[in-house]
Amino acid sequence: MSNFKQLSHIGPSLCVKFYNDTILLAAVGPFIHVYEFRSDKLINKCRIFHNNKIHGFDISQEKCVLYGGKSVSIISISDLLNQIDLKHTELYVPEWVVACTLANDNENCYVLTCYNQVLILNPNGVVLHTKKLLNERSILYSGSIKVLDDRVVVNAGTVMGGILIWDLFSEQKIHNLKGHVGSIFYVTVSDDGKYVASCSDDRSIRLWNLENGQEVSIGWGHTARIWNLKFFNNNMNLISVGEDCTCRTWDISSESELITKNVYEVHLTKNCWSCDVQEELMIAATAGNDGRIKLIDMNKASRYGNELQSFTLQSIGETLEIKFEKNEIIKGFHWFSFGLIAITSLGKIIKYVECTQSWNLIVVNEDLASYSNTIGIDNTIIFSNNKGYVLLLAFSDDGRSIIMQKELHTDYLSKVTNCMCVKFDENYLITLESPNPNDNFIALEIEPVSLEIKRTFKFNKPGNFVSSCLEVVNQNYLLVGSRFSTVAIFNLSDCERDAFMIKKLNPGDTVTSIKFVESKDDSNLFSITNRDGFYNIVNINFDNETYEVIHSNKIVKGFLEGAFYNKDNEYITYGFKSTLFYMYNEQHGYEILSQLCGGAHRQWKLCSLDGTNSNEEFMLVYIKASELYLRRIYKPIVPETLVNGLHGREIRDISILPQPFNKEEYLFATASEDTTIRLNKFNLVTGDIKSYWAERKHVSGLQRLKFISNKFLISSSAREELFLWAINTSFSSNPYITVRATLPTSAHSPDLRIMDFDTLFINEDRTDFIVSTIYSDSTMKIWYYDSTDNQFKLLWTSRYKTCCLLNVKLIILEDELYLLVAPTDGHLVVYNITNELETARISDNKLVNIKVPMVPVTLSNLKPEIELAVHQSGIKCMDVEFSKDTFKVYTGGDDNALSISKFYKNGGRICGEFVYSNPKAASSTITSCQLFKNGTRLLSTSVDQIVRVWKVEEDKLVSMASRYTTVADTGSSDIIKDSSLLIGGVGLSVWEYDENSN
Amino acid sequence: MGKSSKDKRDLYYRKAKEQGYRARSAFKLLQLNDEFHFLDDETNLKRVVDLCAAPGSWSQVLSRKMFTESKGNLDGKKIVAVDLQPMSPIENVTTLQADITHPETLSKILHLFGNEKADFVCSDGAPDVTGLHDLDEYVQQQLIMSALQLTTCILKKNGTFVAKIFRGRDIDMLYSQLGYLFEKVICAKPKSSRGTSLEAFIVCLGYNPPSNWEPKLDLNKSVEEFFSGCSLGRLKISDDNKLSNWKIEERDIAEFMSCGGLDSVDSDATYHFDEDDTSNVKKPALVSLDPIQSPTNPPYKKALELKRKGKLTRAV
Repeated sequence: MSNFKQLSHIGPSLCVKFYNDTILLAAVGPFIHVYEFRSDKLINKCRIFHNNKIHGFDISQEKCVLYGGKSVSIISISDLLNQIDLKHTELYVPEWVVACTLANDNENCYVLTCYNQVLILNPNGVVLHTKKLLNERSILYSGSIKVLDDRVVVNAGTVMGGILIWDLFSEQKIHNLKGHVGSIFYVTVSDDGKYVASCSDDRSIRLWNLENGQEVSIGWGHTARIWNLKFFNNNMNLISVGEDCTCRTWDISSESELITKNVYEVHLTKNCWSCDVQEELMIAATAGNDGRIKLIDMNKASRYGNELQSFTLQSIGETLEIKFEKNEIIKGFHWFSFGLIAITSLGKIIKYVECTQSWNLIVVNEDLASYSNTIGIDNTIIFSNNKGYVLLLAFSDDGRSIIMQKELHTDYLSKVTNCMCVKFDENYLITLESPNPNDNFIALEIEPVSLEIKRTFKFNKPGNFVSSCLEVVNQNYLLVGSRFSTVAIFNLSDCERDAFMIKKLNPGDTVTSIKFVESKDDSNLFSITNRDGFYNIVNINFDNETYEVIHSNKIVKGFLEGAFYNKDNEYITYGFKSTLFYMYNEQHGYEILSQLCGGAHRQWKLCSLDGTNSNEEFMLVYIKASELYLRRIYKPIVPETLVNGLHGREIRDISILPQPFNKEEYLFATASEDTTIRLNKFNLVTGDIKSYWAERKHVSGLQRLKFISNKFLISSSAREELFLWAINTSFSSNPYITVRATLPTSAHSPDLRIMDFDTLFINEDRTDFIVSTIYSDSTMKIWYYDSTDNQFKLLWTSRYKTCCLLNVKLIILEDELYLLVAPTDGHLVVYNITNELETARISDNKLVNIKVPMVPVTLSNLKPEIELAVHQSGIKCMDVEFSKDTFKVYTGGDDNALSISKFYKNGGRICGEFVYSNPKAASSTITSCQLFKNGTRLLSTSVDQIVRVWKVEEDKLVSMASRYTTVADTGSSDIIKDSSLLIGGVGLSVWEYDENSN
Repeated sequence: MGKSSKDKRDLYYRKAKEQGYRARSAFKLLQLNDEFHFLDDETNLKRVVDLCAAPGSWSQVLSRKMFTESKGNLDGKKIVAVDLQPMSPIENVTTLQADITHPETLSKILHLFGNEKADFVCSDGAPDVTGLHDLDEYVQQQLIMSALQLTTCILKKNGTFVAKIFRGRDIDMLYSQLGYLFEKVICAKPKSSRGTSLEAFIVCLGYNPPSNWEPKLDLNKSVEEFFSGCSLGRLKISDDNKLSNWKIEERDIAEFMSCGGLDSVDSDATYHFDEDDTSNVKKPALVSLDPIQSPTNPPYKKALELKRKGKLTRAV
């Protein structure tokens, strides 16, 4: 017997609920996942249904009723927490279940169906009563049942904008609430029975008075449909989630409007389905299409009471008993572990000590009036003016006293416009820069105790250079970021040497941060961010003065001010978007924090909260409307996520890197309708999936992607986008991926889709190759990728007919080169392109050489050697098996069929025959097929959500195994080691295939 | 249909505008007819019902086929189009704004037909899609079942029923159910329906219900109850009122048929207007045409207005 075993699954989660202050339950496909959410521990996975997804559940202290599709299951909480398989409890209701609620006798439950009927079920699945509202049978997308003290209220959200509220036992209508436009997607009643809250297609939330049926207030804000709502905080607040992937909280207290209290961007495009609140902790949980389980600390900005403080100069002046001038403003500041040091525009240096919450005036320094620059390092503050004057003040750990003070009067520069500081081994390195291109770029090494200058470095300043950030490595190299996306690298042991320049890393904005990541042999990795949103991981070899960008990407939106790896090795970015400061987990794609501060154009600084630079807790200091704000960013009290999720939309293609990444781990890439490519890994044994990066280079939904070797990946999409990506797995921080080359487009604003591609390497070195691309307008092209000048060069182009082409393969048969194309017309079309590519040399059935033609390439009118009809409509997937003198093509179609065709040469021409077809190989479109086990097995996936394995016998396919997958819109798969398979669609599953198990 | 750059990419969309159809879906019915010829019977096709008809492109096709292009006798020919939404008038078509599940709708249609049964019933209806595939497919099947309920009350023996389906995970259960009512059930995919879409059409030929079964519309009966007299109703609550346990359900894969012929326009392809080539696809000049029917008011119109006024920008 052969068998499939699911090892893991990341996919839509439709319901989350807190059981108590430790346990969270999440519905994932037919499973309930049980988490100890505070410690991020998955403690049980329990299968509830055979196939159906769990859409929702209701829990009491002892019991749980779950529903999804037509399935219902009533179980005890202890079974849910301890058993792994409760499939035998699955019961079938005649119609789709919209909601289930436990009765307050803790025995029976109420089941609301989509036809507005309520079945009253006992724990044995016996229908005690059927209740309905006469003559109201409109189909429901949503509904709920509320058990109140004196009655049970059914809330039915119709597709026509009305909400039918009826009494369960009397079967009498209470209200038909009218006001929404379009289908109602959720409706619920507050615990006190005062309010009804509803949401709909019209993007509004409406609050109604249950007593009189009047509309109380409306909430606007969601930019797409709203899927779920819940009252919390004694029915004073509402929480909502929706298609726009935001979670919002609302204040009910006001009059005609629900006031937005907070907005959290919690999931990946698109659809956040469910939310719940743990009220004692004020923690919310959300679940979405991306498979993520997100926790939100709703008191993130108020939990400790001191998260946000603000001061005006006037209020500081009052405590100091000194007067600030009317036009005096704060010019600079830095946060230390003990508190804040700031300077005003009149040179007043003031200090705020955290433990005493008191302000002091340290000194008034006339030299620092009008122009000053402020830097902080360890416990030392460094002020400078534009005349070369530098003041250094070192504070005691408690901040109460100045333990060392130094004034430097430098005269290296005609004018100083920028002064920065970086740790240099145990010392500090202060840089001074002037606007004069003929001046040097100065660095002063300062001993941190005596604050004495130990060494002075005078470098030749590169042209077009304006410094913006610093980093020092190996005690020898000073990296200075500049405008125009440029980095200068100065050698501290050789001042005479011109800086090694890395110019124009990205289109052009200022470098905002440089951070050392790791080094290995002569390679040194740095994270370099650009204000325009690009970040790069750059591998620099200082000895050879060479560099290579091994990773490049762009943030979703806004300005990028910096990035770092946190303690879990996740890449964190920060900056501004519109009026917000944000911190974002770039690896998994969620906002860690946002603070309304007015936007990027202000003085601000992100400092370590405790001075340890552990990158865990921060102090954001900023000025808004002349007020000084201190925003403390603490470690989260609960994990940010319990599952990170993958893609919020369909996974269109999957490719596994052939070479293992670690012992049992393989890297794989996913291409999604959400326009991103993700680089991930999975474990063959445990099925554990970890995602590293979401690459945003494509601007349209992906079509195909494939690792063409262990170093390269190709991806294609609409707008004629095709990228060659280089993969780097040699560093310990992360695997990296970046675009190496881009395929030229045929028009300025391309609107063709590149449906598929295939490659053929030239020689064995696996660097140069030819690639065939096929397009939605029937065009076929062949390109040569030359690694020496890193470009795609067009070799040949032709057009089949006018229909869309779906699949392509390059084939060498008896030393001739063929192009096999599968269009939407169901034919297999073979072209002999040997003579079309005159410069191609084939020997031993291998492409050994090719040159680019000297004359421009024109549209060839080459006719196919054969057009073989094999499917009724589009050929959706194809795999080819080669032997010495034939090749067999396995195809799966939109017509539900799997077919085999055989091609061979006869009298110099290619001949083909259609040898086998199973017209009912699936009950819906077959979306992927792949040979494995040396061509003796064929794996197929189809939109009917069945994964099948076929035994390849002489000219036929025999079904060997089939199993239902919870992955809807099943559209892609890949297999490695003949036994581990990935299935993609709306979600991703890792399965094991074993022919010897039962 | 709006006036948009979609013209360029979608040839059917453009052809629909040129030929005065309210939606590109008109070509789906035309291509189904090219294969099955159910609208070409001059003598026997008299009474036709178009369910979930708005905006009315299928009714337009029916009107043209049965009246404008007909060479035969027009006496007794009648087209009734039903939808919950209002529809602008179509020549030779009686439009009813009504609920297809309501018994009154049935009696109105029967009245219009002079108490004669229909020869052909079709439905191109689709629900709002949520993104929950199982729910979307279920709601679509319920729509088909609602249309089928009315159809069983009004379709003559041997009549034809055509409806839009989503080919998802439970489509084989629907095929198997329809097999109890019709001689032949075919899954047809017109070329004008995109290959990337789950959409297809069931063409049910030779209506032949169980002889001992008399369908009767009742607002307070569920679909399952309605069909419980024939073998369609699968999930009845048993006589002891116990819900059934999970079991493998009866499924059947219907024959697939691609409609529209190989030379018809491919809805997945990108077409060029600005260059010559040898294909025989007629290429209209690249001029944006005015839409035939103005876009309807979406439910989120107010939200769009607020967004335009900048009232939905994040302030917290």
